[in-house]
Amino acid sequence: MPMLDIKNLTLEMHSSEGTIKALDKVNLTVSTGEIRALVGESGSGKSLIVSAICGALPSEWSVTADRMSWNGENLLGMSSQQRREVMRREIAVVFQNPQTSLDPSATLGEQLEESIPSEFIQGRWFWQRAQQRRKIAISTVHKVGIKHHKHYLSAYPHQIPSDIGQKFMIAMALVSQPKLLIADDPTRGMEPTTKTQILKLFTRLNQTRSLSILFVSHDLLAIASMSHTMTVLYAGQTVESGKMKHIKKRPLHPYTKALLDSAPSFRKDLPPKSHLPTIAGSIPTLQHLPIGCRLGPRCPRAQRACVQTPAVRRIHDHSYSCHYPLHMEKL
Amino acid sequence: MIRILARYSILFVLTLLVLAVMSFSLAYLFPGDVLENLTGIVPANDAQRLALERQFRLDQSYFIQFFYYLSNLFAGDWGYSFTSGIALRDEIGIAMPATIELATYSIMIALFVGIPLGYYAGMRCYSTSDYIINTSSITTYSFPVFWLALLLILVFSLQLDKAPLSGRISLLFDVEPVSGFILLDILLSDMQNKSLAFKDALSHLTLPTVAIGAVSTASMVRITRRSVIDARHQPYIAAAVSRGLSGWQIFFRHILRNALLPILPLMAIQITTLITNTMIVETLFSWPGIGNWLIQAIYQRDYPALRVGMLSVSTLVITLTITVDMFNRLIDPSREKYEHAAI
Amino acid sequence: MPQYSLYEEEFHPSPWQRTWRAFKESHIAMAGAVLLCVFVVFALFAPLLTPYGVNEQNIDGLLVPPSWTGNGSISHLFGTDSLGRDLFTRVIYGCRVTLGSAFITVVLAMLVGVSLGAFAGMLRGVRSSIANHLPDALMAIPTLLIAIIIVAIFGTGLVNSMWAITLALIPQFVHHTRSLVRTEMKKDYIVASKLDGANKWQLFTYSILPNMTEMLVVQGTIALSIAVIDISALGFLNLGAQSPLPELGAILSDGLDVTYLAPWNVALPGMAIFFLVLSINVVGDGLRSALRKRVNH
Repeated sequence: MPMLDIKNLTLEMHSSEGTIKALDKVNLTVSTGEIRALVGESGSGKSLIVSAICGALPSEWSVTADRMSWNGENLLGMSSQQRREVMRREIAVVFQNPQTSLDPSATLGEQLEESIPSEFIQGRWFWQRAQQRRKIAISTVHKVGIKHHKHYLSAYPHQIPSDIGQKFMIAMALVSQPKLLIADDPTRGMEPTTKTQILKLFTRLNQTRSLSILFVSHDLLAIASMSHTMTVLYAGQTVESGKMKHIKKRPLHPYTKALLDSAPSFRKDLPPKSHLPTIAGSIPTLQHLPIGCRLGPRCPRAQRACVQTPAVRRIHDHSYSCHYPLHMEKL
Repeated sequence: MIRILARYSILFVLTLLVLAVMSFSLAYLFPGDVLENLTGIVPANDAQRLALERQFRLDQSYFIQFFYYLSNLFAGDWGYSFTSGIALRDEIGIAMPATIELATYSIMIALFVGIPLGYYAGMRCYSTSDYIINTSSITTYSFPVFWLALLLILVFSLQLDKAPLSGRISLLFDVEPVSGFILLDILLSDMQNKSLAFKDALSHLTLPTVAIGAVSTASMVRITRRSVIDARHQPYIAAAVSRGLSGWQIFFRHILRNALLPILPLMAIQITTLITNTMIVETLFSWPGIGNWLIQAIYQRDYPALRVGMLSVSTLVITLTITVDMFNRLIDPSREKYEHAAI
Repeated sequence: MPQYSLYEEEFHPSPWQRTWRAFKESHIAMAGAVLLCVFVVFALFAPLLTPYGVNEQNIDGLLVPPSWTGNGSISHLFGTDSLGRDLFTRVIYGCRVTLGSAFITVVLAMLVGVSLGAFAGMLRGVRSSIANHLPDALMAIPTLLIAIIIVAIFGTGLVNSMWAITLALIPQFVHHTRSLVRTEMKKDYIVASKLDGANKWQLFTYSILPNMTEMLVVQGTIALSIAVIDISALGFLNLGAQSPLPELGAILSDGLDVTYLAPWNVALPGMAIFFLVLSINVVGDGLRSALRKRVNH
């Protein structure tokens, strides 16, 4: 049974210019112990999905979904107290920019210790409890690979380098022992060495603790190396979703194929000095979303039927939504 | 830390030096003869003039005169006022604590009423209570302070006859000026009817404090509310929400400190405005403070009084602003990242 | 045959248009703007709007109450003062004097302050903290004190009080200009212009100055409200405008003698100052919210 189950999530905003449907019938599932990658360009709505799961959407967005459940309980129907409880213990989020996610007026140690759930602390006297908090903080920080804990735990956010910052954010997420870790583009703008460290950390956590990870990114290399399953998002619609090996071997949606083609390391048979294949055009703005399949105007295989949103079809675990997928010949 | 203290002390000393130079040169800038301005005596003939000049060192170079002026200031000889003939030091010694007392009570009201109200309005921003607080604060802030004081006098003193009109305490009570702060003096002295005197002094204090405090409070409410709203929209508050911290935890640990820190640099300007408003309101209530004294001095063109009065008030203001700046610098951790040249 | 355009040009409003739209959405800000326009009309067209002359005395009608009370007459809308001068005329002229002199003060302070701040921000290389803090510390002297000194040296009068308030308003312009110039100088578009060969003057006029206009407008409204209150305060204390010059504070202090007999002499000019400052503050607040909304979207 999947832990996080989202079906037909739609996010609408009513503005003065009309209704904007930023997310249109998005499907996403994360099972226990799996690393799912959520891939899409900037502007495809990945961060909106993360905010919708957390419940941190601004009030002007209206959320509708056929099913949005965590471990069987409906997230949309919960009270805010219960939702907060779920967020506190079972789901953890690592945001993009570690510098802005930390309170600049408190030391790192204070912020880490306040995130430790009080269920883990036993002790009658407050100094016992403070000691235990400190111990848990130090051990968590060691687990993510920060060696000089004394220096960093007493530092302020503007004094630490950004890779330590991101590792610290992961430590803060882990301290409550969640079952699902949502990483919203954590390795953006990092040097490759730091990126590999963080990705290795994720893989290790997934293997040792069977922590499920929802890894939101557009870095295909990182995703290909570590994720088990992948969901591809384009302009607020899920276009393809399935196991990583299957998608790599045989992408069914033209967008997925273009995405995989654009990363040179995926293709072994690329002759030198050849053009990198791309799809012409750019992602549509929110005010001018195409009707039906949103890739329509750019897709080389588009026909008249594409003005209707394609239904989701499945081949074993591999689901796609396209009227003319790649395993069908163009009519 | 020692470096910060040293830097600010040097700044303080330099500023005071510049102020002393300015106040010294005022003697030469005032219209009229320098000798008359300084002493008030019109020399009868040349011999007297020469003698007076030698006595007040007016025949020597500017540096020596300045040095003489400074040494007099430190020795305590601040000259004599034209109008009353009393030593200026005594006059300022009575007037300054009165102003400081009034300003202190007003600023207490501004801090302890204004900041909590600002927090309340900021946390419930765009709701009805926030709307009411915002509207009333912008209305109160737009009142000219002297008109507000005048209205208070009209309504409370003249119509309703609830509060007294002028002075610090009714003439029936005779309080020994030990510290200059009248409430403190009443408690320290050994009179028979202390509580009556205390209540009387309080009633004299009420109207001026309300007038000054209202405008300052409105200003603090606006500043605090804006700072709280800005702090609430920061990304780390959203990150804290996603970690599941409760509303109270977020407020006490994060919003409280981060909303307060940007306000502190603005406190210096608030203090300056407060002292200006205090000085204006003192004239309306005949409160024997330094504002009233200075304004009387300027009406009567009492030049020695003006010189030393200006020096003393600006010293007070500079001391307060530099202290607030230094305090700022010490407790705000994120200011360390600004580069400074070594002192 | 004219071409029909199939796709409408997208209308992208300029930043000022977006600010104006956001400003219009707030009803309170628009009400404040209307009130401010009324005052500006008073200031500009005072001679055309007033029935009497400013100093024209009506010996028979001393201390006539305003027209809405029982004893008043419509010929004197706000009543008269102790010398028989029509209060309505005096208040309208007073708006003109107060608002006009405050406006001139703010413009002058802005010019001087921006130039000084730009110099300090652009031409200093190494930030020497003493040299930067010293002017800040010195200029935090209260307005009243500066006014007293200037009156002592130069005498009383509206012009001298305007000098005093200009001196008091310059520091905040210097401070804000300097910090803005300093932050902008670090940005990449300035470096790009420098690499193109712009000298400091061109950098300032073409790159930094257009980005300063918003800050200047916001600071200008704050300074205008401070200037109005300070000019009327100085007029009230007889350190600034002297009667018979119709300045709202001076009119107020004239009416102080007859407060108990004729409270309208004190209430009406005071209300004029209050509404003037209120409208400036409301418009300033509305502008600041509109600018903030524009940045956030």
